[in-house]
Amino acid sequence: MSHASASSPPPPDFEIASAFPEVTWLRQAATARDWVSIRQYLDGLPRETNRGFAVGVLAEVDGVEGWMREILAAAPDDVLALTVLGSREVRIGWEIRTAAPAKQVSREQFAGLHAHLRQAEQLLIRATALDPSSDAAWAERLTTAMGLQLGQNEARRRYDRLAAHHPHHFSAQGRLLQQLCPKWGGSWEAAHAFARECLLGAPEGALSGGLVAEVHMEHWLALRGREREEYLRQGHVRAELVEAAERSALHPGFRRDYGWVVVQGYFAALFSLTGDLARAAACFRALGNLASQYPWADLGGDAAAAYVKHRDAALARG
Amino acid sequence: MNPQAAIHPTEVDGIPTLFAYATGPVRAGLVFRVGVADETLGRAGITHLVEHLALHRQGLADYHFNGATKAAFTHFHVEGAEHEVVAYLQGVCASLTDLPMERLETEKEILRTEESRRDVGPLPLWRYGAQGYGLVSYPEWGVRNLGPDDVRAWAATWFTRGNAVLWVAGERLPAGLSLRLPAGARHPMPAVTSALPGGPAYFSDGTGGVLLDAVVTDTTAARLYTGVLERELSRALRQEGGYSYTAATDYASRRDGFALVTAFADALPAKQDAVLGGFVDVLAGLQVGRIGQADLEAVRTRADGGLTAPDAAVRRLPGAAEDLLAGRPVRGLDELRSELWAVTPGHLHAVALEAAGTALMQVPSGHTADWAGYTAAPTGSSYTVAGRRFPSVRGDGTALVVGDDGISVTAREKNGTESAATVLYRACAAMLSWPDGGRRLVGTDGLVIEVEPGLYGVDAHTMAALDAAVPHHAVVWLPPRQQRPAPRAAAAPGGEAETGAGTSARPAPARRTGRQTAAVVVFGILGGFFAFLALLFTVFGAGDPETSTGEWAAIAGFLWGVAALLAWPAVRILRRTRRV
Repeated sequence: MSHASASSPPPPDFEIASAFPEVTWLRQAATARDWVSIRQYLDGLPRETNRGFAVGVLAEVDGVEGWMREILAAAPDDVLALTVLGSREVRIGWEIRTAAPAKQVSREQFAGLHAHLRQAEQLLIRATALDPSSDAAWAERLTTAMGLQLGQNEARRRYDRLAAHHPHHFSAQGRLLQQLCPKWGGSWEAAHAFARECLLGAPEGALSGGLVAEVHMEHWLALRGREREEYLRQGHVRAELVEAAERSALHPGFRRDYGWVVVQGYFAALFSLTGDLARAAACFRALGNLASQYPWADLGGDAAAAYVKHRDAALARG
Repeated sequence: MNPQAAIHPTEVDGIPTLFAYATGPVRAGLVFRVGVADETLGRAGITHLVEHLALHRQGLADYHFNGATKAAFTHFHVEGAEHEVVAYLQGVCASLTDLPMERLETEKEILRTEESRRDVGPLPLWRYGAQGYGLVSYPEWGVRNLGPDDVRAWAATWFTRGNAVLWVAGERLPAGLSLRLPAGARHPMPAVTSALPGGPAYFSDGTGGVLLDAVVTDTTAARLYTGVLERELSRALRQEGGYSYTAATDYASRRDGFALVTAFADALPAKQDAVLGGFVDVLAGLQVGRIGQADLEAVRTRADGGLTAPDAAVRRLPGAAEDLLAGRPVRGLDELRSELWAVTPGHLHAVALEAAGTALMQVPSGHTADWAGYTAAPTGSSYTVAGRRFPSVRGDGTALVVGDDGISVTAREKNGTESAATVLYRACAAMLSWPDGGRRLVGTDGLVIEVEPGLYGVDAHTMAALDAAVPHHAVVWLPPRQQRPAPRAAAAPGGEAETGAGTSARPAPARRTGRQTAAVVVFGILGGFFAFLALLFTVFGAGDPETSTGEWAAIAGFLWGVAALLAWPAVRILRRTRRV
């Protein structure tokens, strides 16, 4: 395989703006405090667009909370501002908690996280009350429900409220999937069943099939040593992955909606792990050099190194 | 206006009277401005006792009559022929003036039987404390120690001509009706106390579902809001989600210009979280003004049907009598109807906001509502009294502090902080006293302190000082109890009142520890296994030809015994702890 080095692919690009150039514009508009343009942009998006994506970008902007509070002081019923501020509060809370394992998080850090989550939740309660069809607000309320441990049925209720207006909302589905996993009080049966429900409910080429890959990755990560190998060696696991990929990431009509890099990445990673290098290579080729933090951060301390390792192996053989 | 659909004010023997025309049997009611909220916890039940004594001489009359003691009003109600109504009302007045004290002990006994059937629920206790309107949540502890003089004095103070209103529905005022009652003053409405921190509050208790009440200005809009709330709760929790079987609301005027809106949704144990979440979202929708015109119209039409029904005026009479006693105007049906048709969604939005500010929510055990902006209602005190400290002999970290002004119990929480509950003697609503020396002090804020001298090593001298410090009227002497309560490892050890759960004040339940939970599971499983074996043997062993009947009985008895012994520790832990 001497020709592999001839066209050595570029390093992975984790910048979300590389996949979605409008991110750069949104960040600039937020920095410039151009609320009118941001509003117009979001109002102009097609109805089925995942607005949670743009809200997420805005909520990452440092100091955006002060600006949102100013807007809300003048217009308390501004659903978009309520949602951005709620999402921002969640992120501030998570910064206090840090991403460390729960055992290493202090009582004060947890108290800080929960205080911000409660603030976020109350803003978002108001947002969904004002606009029960707001996908971004409901999706964020799945995160607060998880962090505040409000319960499995409550999370499902929130998802159902969202799905009544947005039946194949990928980021909301991903959050409920996390909630349904045993680490958040659910069960593998519930998590796998939900992923399958999303796959079959969505049209071909939609992102929802990515949930099947994600739940297998979560299940695999929860196992240790030999159990991991045995898990991926199971025929039904491999069959489910292929079926899901062919309905989503490897479907000719695969839609490059918000989240597609994550979905493609999950399939690339899982096909690499199962040794299905031909399909892994197809996923990597579709990605170009685009990458998202997950699943790669779960496959080693350095997400970029994990990405490169699996990509090089796949492209060399597949 | 239809003159038959009106309430006419008049007077009978100096008693203000409300009359409405109606055919059929005569209906009438004598209403007094006195109720449970006028009592104190140490004398709770005295109004109810007077009501019972006043009705005793009616004996087994053929006509229908009844009495009802409410929070601020006591009703004597009758339905029958003219002469029967006259006989009833005059008999009640005569009895109130000269109560049949020879019946005192018997009626006390009857009240204790009725007690066990009462189920008001804990919301008033949490909202108002162990005083005023909060007393409806408590057992009638005072009845037991009341003597004839106490009862006579109570009747003479409250059941007077000046403190009464009569209502009559019939073709005319019954001929020969004469009501002889002693003169007396009209009493103002009970003071409204508060045991809440201000703003929306919650507490966690029970497993049934979500219960909420809120104090709002008593208006037609508030009545309609209550109806719309019920429709929204049914839609969200019953029809859309299928989380609840029942979602219901109630509107009750307090007659002091305010009313209580109560809302309830039941929940399967597995769906409690979704019911709570859906409940919060329904309230939030109304609070931001999402009020459907169609819902308003549906509720309005139903209300209008009540106001235009042939018996509308008659059905309003008892409430109108309460209004008159409370010093509020008696409103005509036409006035109420025009108000009804003027209500807009905007008015309901304003009610929703008012209700949001005064809401008190009961959420199932193990759940909270702080995430939705509700503050936890206090279950402890922010201070302790200075005084002598008696650590628990069990070494569980709790201690009793007996001071000159009051008494505190302190406990060390899991997270290292110290929690406390304090009852000041001057704010002691009741002290239950058992002959074995046990005492339970209930503060007017509803906090409870159990004083078990043996468990804290409190000497007789200190107990005597405690007994002397509590105001005489708050002391309730109780007969010997079957079992002394074990102390709870919590700051406010309330536990169950002797009359049953739900009546105790703000109990801070003993948390079930991990080891106890494990023990419940292990002993439960073992007990269940042996019970199964015992059952198998009992059912099938008898027919086994190799076993004699005597052996069969002995072995079956042995197996059942083992099962019971194994299950007992689990049952004990379950009964003494709660999962928090």
